[in-house]
Amino acid sequence: MAATAATHLQSDEAPTSLLSATMLVGPATVFVAAGLLVPLAILFRYSFNSFEPRRMMVETFTLGNYVKFFADPYYTGVLWTTLRVAALCTLACLVMALPLAYVLARTQSRFKNVLIMLVVLPLFVGNAVRAAGWMVLFGSRGFLNVTLMQFGAINEPLQIMFTEGAVVAGIIAVNLPYMVLTLQSVIEGINRNVEEAAFSLGAGPATMFRRVLLPLSLPGILAGTILTFILGMNAYATPVLLGGPKFKMMGPLVYGQFQLNNWPFGASAAFILMTATLGLTATANILIQRRFRR
Amino acid sequence: MTQSTSRRDVLLGAAALAGAAGLPRAASADTKGRIVVGTWGGDYARLLNKNVEAPILIKDGWEVVQDQAGDPERRSKMLAEVRLPRGTSDVQGLSALNMFQMQDAGTVLPIDYGKLKNAANLIPSMKYPYGVGHIYSGKVGVYNPKLITTAPVSYKDVFDPKHGNKLGIIDIQYQYTMVCAALAAGGKVNDLEPGKKLLLECKNAGMRIYPTNEAFAQGLKAEEFGIGVMWKARVVQWQNAGIPVTAVAPSEGTLAYISGFVIPKNAPNKDGGYAYLDAMLEKSAQEAFAVDMGYNPTVTNAVVAPDLNQRIGFTPEEIKKLVDLDYDYMNKNDVEFKDWWDKVLKS
Repeated sequence: MAATAATHLQSDEAPTSLLSATMLVGPATVFVAAGLLVPLAILFRYSFNSFEPRRMMVETFTLGNYVKFFADPYYTGVLWTTLRVAALCTLACLVMALPLAYVLARTQSRFKNVLIMLVVLPLFVGNAVRAAGWMVLFGSRGFLNVTLMQFGAINEPLQIMFTEGAVVAGIIAVNLPYMVLTLQSVIEGINRNVEEAAFSLGAGPATMFRRVLLPLSLPGILAGTILTFILGMNAYATPVLLGGPKFKMMGPLVYGQFQLNNWPFGASAAFILMTATLGLTATANILIQRRFRR
Repeated sequence: MTQSTSRRDVLLGAAALAGAAGLPRAASADTKGRIVVGTWGGDYARLLNKNVEAPILIKDGWEVVQDQAGDPERRSKMLAEVRLPRGTSDVQGLSALNMFQMQDAGTVLPIDYGKLKNAANLIPSMKYPYGVGHIYSGKVGVYNPKLITTAPVSYKDVFDPKHGNKLGIIDIQYQYTMVCAALAAGGKVNDLEPGKKLLLECKNAGMRIYPTNEAFAQGLKAEEFGIGVMWKARVVQWQNAGIPVTAVAPSEGTLAYISGFVIPKNAPNKDGGYAYLDAMLEKSAQEAFAVDMGYNPTVTNAVVAPDLNQRIGFTPEEIKKLVDLDYDYMNKNDVEFKDWWDKVLKS
């Protein structure tokens, strides 16, 4: 009897649940499939075509573009530069964001919302505009050089623009708010009592951070790291404007190939960038999850 | 009760929507039709509107919509749309090299000059079978007399390794820079190898590479370097902005830059496309472009004031010696040239 009732209930509810689930998931799925997956699939197919200057793209199936990328030290060098810059920026963001996020999460100040708004404020300005600001600051006749020369600290302007350092500084400035906000929300969810328990058991601030706060905030660190790493890998405006003509990262490289109408090679470079980003992100995720479980 | 109100609201809403949908049609019913023009943004777009669209086409009853973007993006769009029966633009502004490239890719309509009343005034070299030259200038030597005391007279004088880091070039102008260097090294427009060698010598001597025209201008202004090559029209704009530069037409012949318009094969409004081409060749529009932008007219009936002509134009001897790119050679080798530029020169 009970079994019959359960069956009846299931058969009664199933169509409605299915319909609701479809209604809830459907619009976003259709949007993602049409707006992201279909163009990606087309681009993936293009990456196996070949390029001829007169005919632009020739329909065929070849691994030539991928072979060209990995066989040429120039392109692999660009990929390594991108990985190095993205990793460096992610690490710097993490180190700078942790204390800031901790203070924001734990503060009882009535200005807490204002402080959070100050962190978010740079996101109100586009990347290119922010990079333009850095150009004014870093230029040979920029604010920094002029100030240093006024005070007699230097005689000749420092070459800051068009260097990797300028790009790293620019990307950190873009990505830092994402890391701070992610960490702050996770640290806020950690009960203050567990920190006090650690202190009462004799742990110093460093030990408490290492043994309590860090493991508990690992999900936030993971999310923030993934977010900033992906943004760093795909940076475009900052490397172009602050890195100058000799500095190359993958984003500008991909765009440059499309400018030359070499869509097949541009598509293959885009997929190499995407695969490297996804692969490293997934690996980091698995490694940190394992440690977190322990 | 609730139901009937709701239905009435729905009907009212539907009627309002239908009315709103009809409005643009009603407005456009008075026009000759819509012309969608692909163009660069900035000054070019503004001046097309000021000198071609507003006083001629819109006044004549056309509706003109600008699709502003860089030429690589617009060329990509033309290529992506090539298989469609109806494209999204009626005319596209491109450099002469890019016009050839798009023609080579089979995306543009052959021009029927019989449909252009102003075609009779066009300089013959501006009549391409696949596009129409709109304005032109030339790649001249530019130098700051304060930093470069001996005035250059040729590309050879400009691309001289003795200038060291006082020589500057522009990254995005790799094609024209390589051709200028080739002419300096005794090469030809269809043989850039001597130019590559010379550029490497200049690079080893300290030549500076700037990413864009604007960064190049800033470098000149800040006196980071003192010599290079640039479009004469742009030099005039810099002089107007107070940048201390002087232009010289090189003795090898000035490399010409021609900006023109093509009609895509699948343009929805081809008649509108022809109307646009004709309007941009009008005497008044051409003269206004010379004044506002510093580029030379491509029609013979346009009159440029002598003092302006001295600054933007070329003497009859210089015009005779204008050098054009070998479009086919450049198109075939463009990817290879860019590879060399990125991997060897900029490494």
